[in-house]
Amino acid sequence: MVNNWAGLKKAVRQFGTIALGACFVCLPTLCRAANNCPWINEATASGILGGDAVGQFTEAAPGQARVCVFTQENAGFRHTLLVSVEVAADPHERLGMVAQICGSNAAPLKAIGNEAMTCSASDHSSAMGEHIVGRVRDQVFTITLSTTLKNDPVLTRDALKIRIFTAAEQVSGNLF
Amino acid sequence: MKRFASTMLFIAGLSAAEYWIVPVCAQQNEAQPSAPQQDAPSLAPPPPYALPPRGAAPVEDTPAQREAIAKWKAKAELAAEAARKEYNATVTPAYNFHYGQKNPFTPGNVKVVGEGFIQPGAFPSAEYCGTCHQEAYSQWRQALHSNAFRTPFYRTSVNLLIRDKTRGISFARHCDSCHNPIGVLGAALTEDSKVDRGQIDSDGLTCATCHSVVSLDSTNGNASVKMGVPAVIVDENGERIPGEVPFSMILRHPERHSKAVMHDFLHTPEFCAACHKANLPSPLNDYKFLRAFTAYDEWQQSKFSQRNPLTFYTADFTTCQGCHMKRNAITLPDYGAKNGTFASHRWLAGNTAVPFYYGFDQQLSKTIDFLRAGNYLNVDILGLEKAAEVDATGNAKLIAPLGKVSYNLAPNDVVTAFVVIQNKNIGHSLIPEVRDLYEAWVEFTVKDANGKEIYHSGFLKPDGMLDPRAHSFTNRPVTDEGEFVDNHKVWTIHSVAYDNTVPAGRSVLVRYQFRLPSDASGAFSVTAKVNYRHLRQSYLNNIFGKDDHPAYPVVEIASRTRVLKIGDNQPEAADPADNADWMRWNNLGIALLDQFQYKEAVDAFTEVVKLRPTYADAYTNVGLTEIVWEKYGSARTAIRKSLSIEPNNARTLYYDGLLQRRAGNTAQEIADFKKVVEMFSQSRDARRELGITYYQQNDNPNALEQFEALQKIDPDDLTAHYNLSILYRRMGKKAEAAEQQAMFVDKKVDDGAPTYSLDYLRMHPEISTESIPWHIHSDLEDGAGGMRNGK
Repeated sequence: MVNNWAGLKKAVRQFGTIALGACFVCLPTLCRAANNCPWINEATASGILGGDAVGQFTEAAPGQARVCVFTQENAGFRHTLLVSVEVAADPHERLGMVAQICGSNAAPLKAIGNEAMTCSASDHSSAMGEHIVGRVRDQVFTITLSTTLKNDPVLTRDALKIRIFTAAEQVSGNLF
Repeated sequence: MKRFASTMLFIAGLSAAEYWIVPVCAQQNEAQPSAPQQDAPSLAPPPPYALPPRGAAPVEDTPAQREAIAKWKAKAELAAEAARKEYNATVTPAYNFHYGQKNPFTPGNVKVVGEGFIQPGAFPSAEYCGTCHQEAYSQWRQALHSNAFRTPFYRTSVNLLIRDKTRGISFARHCDSCHNPIGVLGAALTEDSKVDRGQIDSDGLTCATCHSVVSLDSTNGNASVKMGVPAVIVDENGERIPGEVPFSMILRHPERHSKAVMHDFLHTPEFCAACHKANLPSPLNDYKFLRAFTAYDEWQQSKFSQRNPLTFYTADFTTCQGCHMKRNAITLPDYGAKNGTFASHRWLAGNTAVPFYYGFDQQLSKTIDFLRAGNYLNVDILGLEKAAEVDATGNAKLIAPLGKVSYNLAPNDVVTAFVVIQNKNIGHSLIPEVRDLYEAWVEFTVKDANGKEIYHSGFLKPDGMLDPRAHSFTNRPVTDEGEFVDNHKVWTIHSVAYDNTVPAGRSVLVRYQFRLPSDASGAFSVTAKVNYRHLRQSYLNNIFGKDDHPAYPVVEIASRTRVLKIGDNQPEAADPADNADWMRWNNLGIALLDQFQYKEAVDAFTEVVKLRPTYADAYTNVGLTEIVWEKYGSARTAIRKSLSIEPNNARTLYYDGLLQRRAGNTAQEIADFKKVVEMFSQSRDARRELGITYYQQNDNPNALEQFEALQKIDPDDLTAHYNLSILYRRMGKKAEAAEQQAMFVDKKVDDGAPTYSLDYLRMHPEISTESIPWHIHSDLEDGAGGMRNGK
């Protein structure tokens, strides 16, 4: 089990407010909330997350990442599916950078996009997740599927691996 | 900076997940998510089951058991109906009925029993079926049918249609009716879809797709079937019980399971026709009906159907399933096995790209074995012409058949090799279906004794692209701007600039011209291969990006090498794979006939007569060539000779009928055609000609009978449309007449289409040359206006 989930979560907390502020103040057009995620629909995300999910798509300026976030709220815990896609001038280099989210634990994944890698993430306390990073031509994507519930009976470690693959098929398929 | 920006956006997305929860209700589909599998997952062990003795009567149910089944059925029906109703209430309001409320699946032809859409969850999962059919399941998971939707090769193409500014996802129902029918029937193909696509996209054509079809609507293709409400068992009265049932119910009554899922038509080519025949209708292209492909009709016209008397050769009746679903010994438990064998659910054919991409090594290796194993093609380096040796008419003399004749070669000789490639045992054309995507070509090499290349055509360039001047069995569909439709945007096709295929049972002659070196000595090897790659390199580049994908497999399907020597060349022993000499000449004749080289074709067929003087078809071949050559006198002589050997040869009678028409012997003309129809009731040619004869005699009822029968065989036959429109009008059937007239107008080739083709050919001289039936591949600067080694 790798231990980079905690780092990711910390980064989110650290920069979340700044990012929100940036959206409101500087980039209002990038933050139009909508459910029209181009790569995976809400019903499919709901199936992956194990219940009714709420989706939000964040458009971006050219060269920046577009993001879809789906959350499924439960009593005391949350399931999240996050998809980020950006067009890269050098997709190989960019994928290498994005894959750092996996550290040295990235395992190659067959038959997703041009190439893809997967890894697990967990902080051993309350969160567990899976990442898939990959690309379709020059479009680099990151997918994270996570639960905030320890010993989640729905999103078990095995279920996370299987379900994130479904998400990756949807995302890469729509990026082709 | 850019990296920082994208990181910020990435994090902004995460923060949205953490803090910005917008309370919008999602529409939850009843289908539960499960894992799309790269390979067959480990299924639960099948329930215990002892096969009943062969011929054993079905188990009798007790009254209590009957009642239990009846209760189950009633409950299942209610549940299915309620679920469907609820599902429709959810998906219908948001559905884009682009073609009207009554045509929810147009431009596809698929239909479904009952009202409205059908929920994906109504289809039993592949894993459910796989529990007792593990062999079938594991094969299916690697086969093209289960991967019909999700592959990048398909998605790249269909995504272009979905993103097309003037079309969109509702137009994609045309493609997805075959590639993702559960999605189409389940209303997934609409903007803002409310359907969970995880499972249905991953499974493509799942078990319950084919095995839920209850009837074939026509042989029009584009998914021309009617889907039933999925059921895996019927009750004692033969009535379907919807949905999954306990395995114990099936194992108690396997005969009822068969009745629900194994309709007889599953064994017929007409079932395959539902999707292995496709057209581009005007609702898709806003232009007109264009036939896209029709492997079914190619089979129907082949020797394997035994429905066409006009084939050059004969064979045992073989269906699509006979080649692509051969029975194999099972390696996994499968309760559907008979005598330890099961019909292959790999559907081995020509698709190497999908198993290569997914890493399905077993499927890939079996596919390659299939392509190489079947004695499908015969490659014959049949003859040589030397530029320096001409006959009395100034034409080069043909030295043939090689291996059986003596000849002499000298340094500096300009030699033209005649390579005859016979589509010997494929039940459809080489290449079938979307031949704009596939790549099959002839690679021809001449090497000296040291392996030094003297001539090479059909090579792959370092970037993986095929020698543009290779002899390739492909086509070039073009837009109304005369541009090649390189990315399979089929809705933009307006014409086909050229279509270089070898129909089932026919042959093609490819000529290669080269000069032997001035210092030549010893032996030279001449090799002709038919190579195959799925997919065309430029299409792979479209999908993955140029230089951004591995080299996809190139499979050598068939080849032949001959050794030429400077000096005297003597006859040599034949290779076991070589055709008999008469067949070599016959194939040359067929190829020359198709290249409109009628005199040379007659000469070749005459060689067959010399070798097999009692072979009636040899004379018929001479006769039919002379008919198209309009040499009716000598054609009659040949046809009479053939009939004197075989008076009831349907093929010869057909050509005799044409000659009798020409001579004004109507009674004999009718007698000939009638006899052919009696022997081959599904002969479209005989039906067409007999219909024309009756029509010309004002015998409307009999003409009508023939044209209606013809239309049942081939719903696109223009002669049938044209004549039926007139005949119906004469009978006062105005609506039917108008319908036939409309279909004739829609299906008739656009007179302006050649303009688009010519635009393309003008811009592509290498293809322009290939589009001419008679052409020569040459590396000589002063060659016969031919092609120069890819330069």
